[in-house]
Amino acid sequence: MKLSEDVSGPTVALKERAVLLFREHLGAVRRRTDRLFAGLMLAQWAFGILVALFVAPYGWEGKDGAPHAHVYAALFLGAALTVFPIALARWRPGDAATRHGVALAQMLWSSLLIHLTGGRVETHFHVFVSLAFLALYRDPWVLLSATGATIADHIIRGFLWPESVYGVVDPEWWRFLEHAFWVGILDMVLLHAGRGMRREMREVAVRRAELELAREREEEKSAALDRALRELSGFQEHLIRVEKLAAVGQLAASVGHELRNPLAAVRNAHAYLSRRLSRDVIGAADDPRVPQFLGVMERELGACAKIISDLLDFARERPPALQPCPLRPLVDEAIGVVPPREGVRIINEVPESLPVPSLDKEQFRQVLVNLVQNAVEAMPTGRTGQVSVLAEGQDAGPWAIRVIDDGAGIPPDVLPKIFEPLFTTKTRGTGLGLAIVANMVQRHGGTISVRSEAGRGSEFHIHLPATAAAQAA
Amino acid sequence: MKRPAFARGMWVVSGLLWLAAMGVGFALLTRHALTPGATQEAPPQWPQAAQPPRAEGRPTLVMLAHPRCPCTRASLGELAVVMEHARGRLDARVLFLRPEGTSGDWTQGPLWRAAAAIPGVRVLADEGGTQAHLFGAVTSGHSLLYDAEGRLRFSGGLTAARGHRGDNPGRDAVEALLREAGGSGGTSEHAVYGCALEEPPGVRATNTP
Repeated sequence: MKLSEDVSGPTVALKERAVLLFREHLGAVRRRTDRLFAGLMLAQWAFGILVALFVAPYGWEGKDGAPHAHVYAALFLGAALTVFPIALARWRPGDAATRHGVALAQMLWSSLLIHLTGGRVETHFHVFVSLAFLALYRDPWVLLSATGATIADHIIRGFLWPESVYGVVDPEWWRFLEHAFWVGILDMVLLHAGRGMRREMREVAVRRAELELAREREEEKSAALDRALRELSGFQEHLIRVEKLAAVGQLAASVGHELRNPLAAVRNAHAYLSRRLSRDVIGAADDPRVPQFLGVMERELGACAKIISDLLDFARERPPALQPCPLRPLVDEAIGVVPPREGVRIINEVPESLPVPSLDKEQFRQVLVNLVQNAVEAMPTGRTGQVSVLAEGQDAGPWAIRVIDDGAGIPPDVLPKIFEPLFTTKTRGTGLGLAIVANMVQRHGGTISVRSEAGRGSEFHIHLPATAAAQAA
Repeated sequence: MKRPAFARGMWVVSGLLWLAAMGVGFALLTRHALTPGATQEAPPQWPQAAQPPRAEGRPTLVMLAHPRCPCTRASLGELAVVMEHARGRLDARVLFLRPEGTSGDWTQGPLWRAAAAIPGVRVLADEGGTQAHLFGAVTSGHSLLYDAEGRLRFSGGLTAARGHRGDNPGRDAVEALLREAGGSGGTSEHAVYGCALEEPPGVRATNTP
């Protein structure tokens, strides 16, 4: 039974919705047709008055003229014919009574216009045009009302004044049937057309209902998807928090580990100096190990300061303060900061004539220092080598800065991880240097990539977008 | 929402009143169309004083017409049919009223031109309505048929209602008399539908426009 409920449930709902939509559409069409006929009634009234004024403006007695009876008929009888259906259309739009009232008034308008034009045959076509207009209601009963009114009019007038409707004085008794036959033929055509229109409206209603149902289903799916996304987003946030906590733990462990060795060296040096000074302050000045330990303390405290500085650089999210920054002097400055190493030559190959990009000078100097220092340290001990810094770019084009060394290269399994924070292959390193570099390049809207070959060296490639050059121009 | 019964009842009553008003309105309109104008007795013999004199040896039809009466357009239309069917056997003339104090333009309007366009019809002005008075015509469209001997054979209108063209007993009677070709039967009399040619108090009472 569950299956049948699943199948029939939407089908029943679809049918009910389609019926409702069909009724709404039909009601809207009929209200619109009511308004159409309200306007048509006014137009016919104006037309009737014009016809009366044109055909029979005055009646005469000798040389005295007075408005013709047709003028009064067009004015007052026409007004009465017009006002009632308009009132129905205004206050009872869409009602069946309104449609039938309009149909009756419309057929009476045919009679009045035929009369005002002196019974002209041409005006009889108003009857057929009226029926065609009434077919817009898509209501067969309205056509029946109108046809009934026409037949009644023919019977009554055929009895009282046959010439006005048949054009002959003494027609056969069945003459009204002949007129009714032709009206009936038109009715059949209009009914057929009306049935077709209603069928199309039903089909449209079914399609709309199907569309609505499909949309509702899509909305339900979308809502479910939104819920899933929210849950996923919650899980992701939770995961990020967990990862952050893990990173903090890892960082704390790494920092603790990195700080422990220099601090242990400082503590040893401090312990020795304390003992020496407590024993003999004056003699300590001649002890050669005192300045040696003081040097150890200074060096190790410097290492601690470096670790803490790297951490701060990584943690800080300062947006770059862009300003025109010539690259060649910046590279010279960075090379000057990197401790020299025997056998390793650092060359600044940035052209003098290079346009000036907009960069955060402090951040980019840090980038260059880290890259050059890594390149120098990548050189195997006891081997000579070369580190080159190159740059190219144009005013309107993108920028490329490359740091190339011919050192040992980076092993393929290490390469994907080198920009991750806290990843290091050095015995003494925080693993933050390249992470800081990648972070700062990204803040400039650029990207950094690396290409390395074991034993032949590495090439770090910084790509900056065109906006940097454009802003500097 | 259910419409209050009172409001529904008001609409039903209004509809019935409206239907009744329509019935009365159309009945009045029909009565107006079917109400003939006044008639007087026409001279049984062609009046000697009538101008122009009748054509000897041929039947003569005289229509007395108001030059501005809208109903007379239908009478002229029927006269055109009669003339077409007569095939030249009928001498016809239309005398348009020209009341005293009016100009020629007042008389020679569209109806004058329509009458003049009918083959075989002479159009003349009836100065001061003297000819109408002579023929005893007081309603526009009043037609009189005199046979070849000058005897009155038909007196009345050529339409069956005000301003409505179409088959009618008056026209049928005229055509039957013409087909008779010199018979000596009595006079056929028919109602006339049109405006009043003059304003005698007695006529005014019944011949409203």
